[in-house]
Amino acid sequence: MKRISLIAILFVSALFFKATAQETTVNEKLSEVNDKVTGITERLATAESDLSKLTKIKISGYIQAQYQMFESPALESTSNNYFSIRRARVKFTYEATDGIKFVLQPDFAPGALSLKDAYVVLNDRWTKSFSLTAGKFNRPNYEVEYSSSQREMPERSAVIRALYPGERAIGAKLEYNPLNLPLHVQLALLNGTDGLTINNSAGVNLNPSENKDYDNYKDIMVRATYNLGLGSFGGLDFGAHGYFGSLKSNATSTLSSDYTTVTAIKFGDAVKRNWIGGEFQLFADLLGGMSLKGEYIAGNNASVGYSAVAAGTDPVKNPPVPGVANFQNNFAGYYLYFIKNLGKKNQFAFRYDYYDPNTDISGKDVAVAKFSPTDATVLKSKTSGKSDLATTTFGLALHHYFDDNLRISLAYDIVQNEKVGSAGLVTEDYTKADGTKVAKGMDYSKVVNQNALTLRIQAKF
Amino acid sequence: MKSINSIKLAVIVVLLGLIGFAFAPAADKIVVKGSDTLVILAQKWAEVYMKSNSNVAIQVTGGGSGVGISALINGATDICNSSRKMKNTEKEKLKARYNTLGVEVACAKDGITVYLHPTNKVKELSIKQLSGIFKGEIKNWKEVGGADAEIKLYGRENSSGTYVFFQENVVKGDYAPSCQTLPGTAAVVNAVKKDPNAIGYGGAAYAEGIEICKVKKDDNSPAYLATAETIKTGEYPITRYLYMYLRNKPTGALKSYIDWILSPEGQKLVVEMGYFPVK
Repeated sequence: MKRISLIAILFVSALFFKATAQETTVNEKLSEVNDKVTGITERLATAESDLSKLTKIKISGYIQAQYQMFESPALESTSNNYFSIRRARVKFTYEATDGIKFVLQPDFAPGALSLKDAYVVLNDRWTKSFSLTAGKFNRPNYEVEYSSSQREMPERSAVIRALYPGERAIGAKLEYNPLNLPLHVQLALLNGTDGLTINNSAGVNLNPSENKDYDNYKDIMVRATYNLGLGSFGGLDFGAHGYFGSLKSNATSTLSSDYTTVTAIKFGDAVKRNWIGGEFQLFADLLGGMSLKGEYIAGNNASVGYSAVAAGTDPVKNPPVPGVANFQNNFAGYYLYFIKNLGKKNQFAFRYDYYDPNTDISGKDVAVAKFSPTDATVLKSKTSGKSDLATTTFGLALHHYFDDNLRISLAYDIVQNEKVGSAGLVTEDYTKADGTKVAKGMDYSKVVNQNALTLRIQAKF
Repeated sequence: MKSINSIKLAVIVVLLGLIGFAFAPAADKIVVKGSDTLVILAQKWAEVYMKSNSNVAIQVTGGGSGVGISALINGATDICNSSRKMKNTEKEKLKARYNTLGVEVACAKDGITVYLHPTNKVKELSIKQLSGIFKGEIKNWKEVGGADAEIKLYGRENSSGTYVFFQENVVKGDYAPSCQTLPGTAAVVNAVKKDPNAIGYGGAAYAEGIEICKVKKDDNSPAYLATAETIKTGEYPITRYLYMYLRNKPTGALKSYIDWILSPEGQKLVVEMGYFPVK
């Protein structure tokens, strides 16, 4: 009995000590795990803090790779069909704090590396209605501000490309977007010479820097749009914009748009560039969505000439260079888009696009009416020509969206020029693919073939 | 390559245009995505509707109103649930991609509820006090009649419509950096349940196991709980519509589903799930 009791006591004691030892081990383990969790929590807090800084940076972009075929005879001897990268852009947006945004967007297209956007936006934090943008940004115009990645035709309309080369300008812009009114007003102050070439008598571009102004004149641009709801039908956005600017005269005379009048101007005086435009975008929810968009712009544009250069001491080595008058051209242009979504994945678009760079002379007057200076050593004779002819482009495009990131587009542009009065008045030579030169082969008394086919794939992220 | 003459081209254009009109979106599979506030109601709608319409498959997920609207714009969902209105920038994206302004359907009403821990002495707060608390200007419960304890803030992520609505209508400024953001209203409720000094906000339908705080429009107004009656009369100051957004006017199975949601049968489920009907 004693032996049994002793064994029992020993057994219970062993169990007790084992249990105590186990409890100690569990407690130690628990403490160890607790320490680890605390450590991980601290590390997670640090990681979260770092990550929250990264979430302020947004990176987006798109690449457009394309194959194009041009029907123009002028390209026969070189290349009239090729693959190219039209745009390869990465956009970095950093929202430092609520209300302050920095944007940087380079374009890495081969051979055309450029900085497209570089601006800061300051939002008014009180009324939340105003914002101020400073830097290089899109000029306030519908087609300019409409992203190339969304646009339904491969390129912008001719009038927009002529008035706003490169789309962007350096300056400052104030925007008003009231919270409870579908109104948007933009007022921009710009250098105004972005993308312009202004040559002197030696053929040197006086406006080579993209980062400063050619003159002291600053241009003003204003745009206002209103979104009108049309109930279940859709909506109508409409508005207007105006451009009021000047270029410094580099010549002492200005030629009128109809090539008949030369007026004197002082070197350094303002050569005005003013135009206004009206726009609309009608959206209708008709079996998949459709829109009709249009804009009409007309006004007075200008190009700067240069003054005559007198002969040097040795007139043979340094002959006089006759000057070129500034030229002010009255122009008009418009475009009209029809866009129809075909289900969720496809879209069809066509655009009628017209641009007349000189409304003061018609095609039949081109190369007929002519300004002839009395003294050819003072002023070069400047005659009307190809640059005064209107262009009509009928564009057709089909898009297929594989998903939100990938779009494939097929577009065809039919380009028609305004015709001059008779054969031989405005011509251009060209070289055939086999090297045969065709003198005056392109005659603008007929339509010169400039149609283009584009097959483009766009990847966006 | 010969050029196409204008007449032939015009014919092609007209034909393609006509093809466009032949494309009527019709699908028996409906994808619903968006607001976490609406997700439990949307799931209930889908579950009940599919029982009586076995040919229709409805897939419902949350993610937040912002996520839903993005999905609507990129074509990943047919219906976007949202606890806030679409922003102008989002409408512009919809216009650019689909050439429509979208269709807005108010499908339920909600009172944004302020959650407190049951042990909290504070039982009512004014909009001004809530603003001060969530901005981080009021840091201690004793400043609003509670215990001497630091206020712990819980809220939603910025992709949430509730986050945006609460910020625009209550906080009227930036949230305090100390406000912990959580993915989903259920997570906010859970956090408040566990923390005696916590305060959070979210849809009324989720308020279980926590104290619901009465809310006053201003210091002189009476405080109200979010109930069907106070929301209907407008006495409860933080009420909002909950929306469904579509790209286009609905047709086919999608139209039938939307019509059913707005019918008495669909709106009955709104009440059953703790929300408030639109009418």
